[in-house]
Amino acid sequence: MFLILFVVAVASGVLGQPQQAAVILGIMGFSVVLGFYNEFRAERAVEELQRRVSIKAIVMRDGKTAEVDSSSIVPGDLLQVYIGDIVAADTRIVDSKELEVNESLLTGESFALEKNAESLGEGRSASTPAEASNMLFMGTVVVRGTGRGIVVSTGRSTAFGSISKSLSRAHPETEFQRGTRRYGNLLLYLTFFLAIGIFGFNALVGHSLLNSLLFALAVAIGIVPEMMPGIVTISLSSGAHKMAERQVLVKRLASIENLGNVDVLCTDKTGTLTEGKIAMEGVLGPDLKSEPTVLPMALVCNVAVVGGDGRVTGNQMDAAVWEYAIKRDLVKSASAFSKVDEVPFDYERRMMSVIARRGGELFIITKGAPESVLKRCGGIALDGGGQRTAMTGELAKDIESDVTSYSREGLRVLAVACRSIEGKGAYSPDDESDLTLVGFLSFTDPPKKDAAQAISKLKLLGVDTKILTGDNEVVARKTCDDIAVEVKRVVTGDDLVPMNWADFKAVAEETTIFARVTPDQKLEVIKALKENGHVVAYMGDGVNDAPALYEADAGISVDSAVDVSKEAADIILLKKDLGVLAAGIEEGRRTFGNTMKYVNMGTSSNFGNMFSAAAASVFLPFLPMLPMQILFMNLLYNVANLTLPTDNVDPEYTKWPRKWDIGFIRNFTLFFGPFSSVYDFLTFGIMLFIFGAPAPLFQTAWFVESFWTEVLIIFVIRTWRVPFFTSRPGKWLTVLTLGCVAFGTVLPFTQLGALMGFVPLPPQFWVLLILMTITYLLLVDAGKVFFYRVCGY
Amino acid sequence: MLYADLFGWWIATITWSIAFPIAVSLYLYRRRPGKQHANPERKLGLLRDFTFVWFLAGLLVLYIVTVSQGSALLFAVGNIVVEALLLLYVSRSGKEAAA
Repeated sequence: MFLILFVVAVASGVLGQPQQAAVILGIMGFSVVLGFYNEFRAERAVEELQRRVSIKAIVMRDGKTAEVDSSSIVPGDLLQVYIGDIVAADTRIVDSKELEVNESLLTGESFALEKNAESLGEGRSASTPAEASNMLFMGTVVVRGTGRGIVVSTGRSTAFGSISKSLSRAHPETEFQRGTRRYGNLLLYLTFFLAIGIFGFNALVGHSLLNSLLFALAVAIGIVPEMMPGIVTISLSSGAHKMAERQVLVKRLASIENLGNVDVLCTDKTGTLTEGKIAMEGVLGPDLKSEPTVLPMALVCNVAVVGGDGRVTGNQMDAAVWEYAIKRDLVKSASAFSKVDEVPFDYERRMMSVIARRGGELFIITKGAPESVLKRCGGIALDGGGQRTAMTGELAKDIESDVTSYSREGLRVLAVACRSIEGKGAYSPDDESDLTLVGFLSFTDPPKKDAAQAISKLKLLGVDTKILTGDNEVVARKTCDDIAVEVKRVVTGDDLVPMNWADFKAVAEETTIFARVTPDQKLEVIKALKENGHVVAYMGDGVNDAPALYEADAGISVDSAVDVSKEAADIILLKKDLGVLAAGIEEGRRTFGNTMKYVNMGTSSNFGNMFSAAAASVFLPFLPMLPMQILFMNLLYNVANLTLPTDNVDPEYTKWPRKWDIGFIRNFTLFFGPFSSVYDFLTFGIMLFIFGAPAPLFQTAWFVESFWTEVLIIFVIRTWRVPFFTSRPGKWLTVLTLGCVAFGTVLPFTQLGALMGFVPLPPQFWVLLILMTITYLLLVDAGKVFFYRVCGY
Repeated sequence: MLYADLFGWWIATITWSIAFPIAVSLYLYRRRPGKQHANPERKLGLLRDFTFVWFLAGLLVLYIVTVSQGSALLFAVGNIVVEALLLLYVSRSGKEAAA
């Protein structure tokens, strides 16, 4: 656009129209400053918001373990990493357990790589991150196991810093971005052919070649929606600000519009629908009746970090075990054990184990999902741990049934089992066999108080809720009952495994609870729903949620989530209040609505005016408007649109999800575009046949009429309501629009106006103009009755 | 009349600009969703759906007549009458939609 403007300015200057060249350059300069200032302000605001999401890391300094902000890590710190962590600095590994890292950020390779402390070998060095098997690199993600290492470099001196890539992967183009791109392209093609046509016709009917060229280019500039990126950025950043006031942080601006379009919300259960303040309620014997002896083992088979100040961080359930023991002064009970080794947790096994020594005896202690642990138990310690009784099928069934009854009450249960084991160099999941069941731990995690209300509000907004959880179906159903989610169908991860893709998609459509699903299955459910034509949001906070968060159209996480989830998410809820989610969706719809107003404005009025210019230039003996007048009108029009992102949106517009619909925009253009042409041609008739106007008077009259109708139509187009004045526009939109109209009205009477070729208009014209404009606005309003009845809202 | 040679051109362009949205409205009406469920007996409803078309056609006549007469007064009076009718129509339509 600016290139075209520059060409027009240079051509004007070279061909003896220095005044026109100066005005066009002035317009260019003002447009650049205006655009830059607005985008700069919007981007700064977003950066400021993004700084509020901090990534934490666990380090050991001066012999003490502490959780610190990852930006405060320095070389020499001993960094501890767990599954789900984003590595905070380049680190030489000194100790690891089944450690696997995804380095796709650095290498593009999506498979996880095994990492360990072993030397590469004498004289060997690594030329790529993948070859450096004893190094962890900043920005990469721990997908399995644990590790510790010495930080060797931070910030810009890391491998990540040196290649200066963005911390986040490039997200796929959103539906809204695709829509705006297609719309822009459509108008560009149209403009190109229209400009060539206008130039050709004008030249053919004998207008000067220079004026024909400049006029054609000016008309082209008038049609190009050059403010579109600016309006979208301002709309989005204004939406992000409003959402931040409600404690919803938007990391990726484009996701706001996606959030508004969402019609299915998939959510994890823990920490999203529930309070996420998991508390251990009690310990139970292996038959869920006898006296429990399980707590010391649960404290040993545990990855929570207990700080010097007694604060417990890390895995929530493990932390709850420690908090339970600290509160009851039972921590010492675990002191008989010393931890030797660990087999880390993973989502396939749903359990973790430690190797611990008590006295001279070595044990493997396993803790995890009851059904997974029970499968590996050959015995049960019915008398409190001393004597092992064989685990019969009947006994296992009874235990499972009892666990289920706990789940029905909304309690989450973990099983703990152990056996003695021979000492050896390395331990693996294969060692988790023939275990003796020693007891259970029960946890409470009540639903959020506002969850039921929030889910019901989402339903009113046309958003279906589905739950994708690693928990069992009984606990998930209980949560749904508590928060009044209507359960249509429940499937488990095991049910999904044998399904082909077509069945999977059908099941995804009709299921409410997906229980015991793996991270990959969560991802597949999101993909299936998207393929079914839904715009899907996913809300989760765990490691297992990261792939689904990334795949969803709008990934939503919470500030207390693991690093990898926060990184994958587009939107972070800073407050654990689900009510803000509905508010966020409404804000997204308002943002979308205001963007669409600009699009509809551009098509219905601006486009119509330029079309009139093209037709008039063919039959008039002079140009209907001078190129610099067209450009100035375009500038004023853009200024008037600047406050569009702050406009009020009618509540009925936010009632259901919307999508970018290029067919609707096309119909809108075809239907409403010619309405403004009617009044352009009417002005031509009045000026030619009533006023017998010479060129300058004609051009001034059309400038004023065109500008009035082009700008004032926003008050009609901005709402579905008929009559339009029953919807209240935003304060700033009203002030700026009317201010611009006032400026355009007095312009012909000023020195600047004279410089641009305007002349004062006769009083009689103003009366006719007011009447014409009122008729135009009411006529478009009447057209809306037909259009929305036929084309839908 | 000044520019009398352009009058024919002007009538053609303003007629086109009114005929075009009418043609588009017919096209949109034929392709409207839920068309198959429409009641063929609803002749009056059809007339009402196209009310804005009658306004457009009326305005075309008004504009051509007043401009050809060169009468600003006639133009102003005609506009005020049409505005009153339009206001009545949109107000009634708004109430119907709200109900």
